[in-house]
Amino acid sequence: MGMSRDEIFEKVQEVLTDALGVDDDEVTEEATLMGDLGAESIDFLDIVFRLEKAFDIKIAREDLFPAESIMNNDELVHDGKFTEKGLQELRDKMPHTDISDFEKDPDINKLGDLFTVKAIINYLEGKLQAA
Amino acid sequence: MKFILIDKVLSIEPGREIKATKSVSLAEEYLGDHFPAFPVLPGVLLLQGLIESASWLVRETEHFAHSMILLEQARNVKYKSFGAPGSQIEYTVKAKTIEENVSSFAAAGVIDEQEILTAKIGLRHFNLSEKDSAMATIDAKIIESLKERWKLLKS
Repeated sequence: MGMSRDEIFEKVQEVLTDALGVDDDEVTEEATLMGDLGAESIDFLDIVFRLEKAFDIKIAREDLFPAESIMNNDELVHDGKFTEKGLQELRDKMPHTDISDFEKDPDINKLGDLFTVKAIINYLEGKLQAA
Repeated sequence: MKFILIDKVLSIEPGREIKATKSVSLAEEYLGDHFPAFPVLPGVLLLQGLIESASWLVRETEHFAHSMILLEQARNVKYKSFGAPGSQIEYTVKAKTIEENVSSFAAAGVIDEQEILTAKIGLRHFNLSEKDSAMATIDAKIIESLKERWKLLKS
């Protein structure tokens, strides 16, 4: 599609300000969707839908936010922490996200920290280049 | 589903601040889907706890003058962690302004001193009879039942 990273960022910014009711300047690459921008479960659905419309692509919700299938599997998340198998699953499903910090304390309560604006942009860059 | 997202009011300073708690129970129906292996209180219901707390602060401050108190705006909402069954969320809502028909608050929910969420809330308060005088008896009924509920929350 030939979109630059900046162009992708601007569109993502627009999607997130519309979906979450935040100001543009709050949507920085480092911002986390839940902790900084106030997104919660229902919002993830909305965000994926709006991204599909904005970029004219299909996005499986699990591609961007793989948490649900992983969280329900005891081999992947045990006693509130990701197992090695679970971390590998995250790496496989979210190649656009750097999980090295999360790995130090893979507490499921901190999973939200992985969902950053940057992760979304990385994902879209990869997806649009492949198209 | 009963839409009561706070269990008890710990303290209240009319016009200024209210503190309330909500204990998360495994028996809450929506937890079954949210999520099956990792039940946590949905973010919107955490926010609802803050909104209810703020609403009670308005009611007590204005002596239950209005039957309707609705959310007008929620800004800078940040979800920092989850509320799981067995935990008790303590909500603290501080009034910025409480005027006759609008109010604004800075609010936070914590579990064991860990911040779970923060938000800025704007409410709107009015009586149905303002638009339709025939609704005055309904306003009165609503206010009566709110006063009964308040007795339970404050005890």
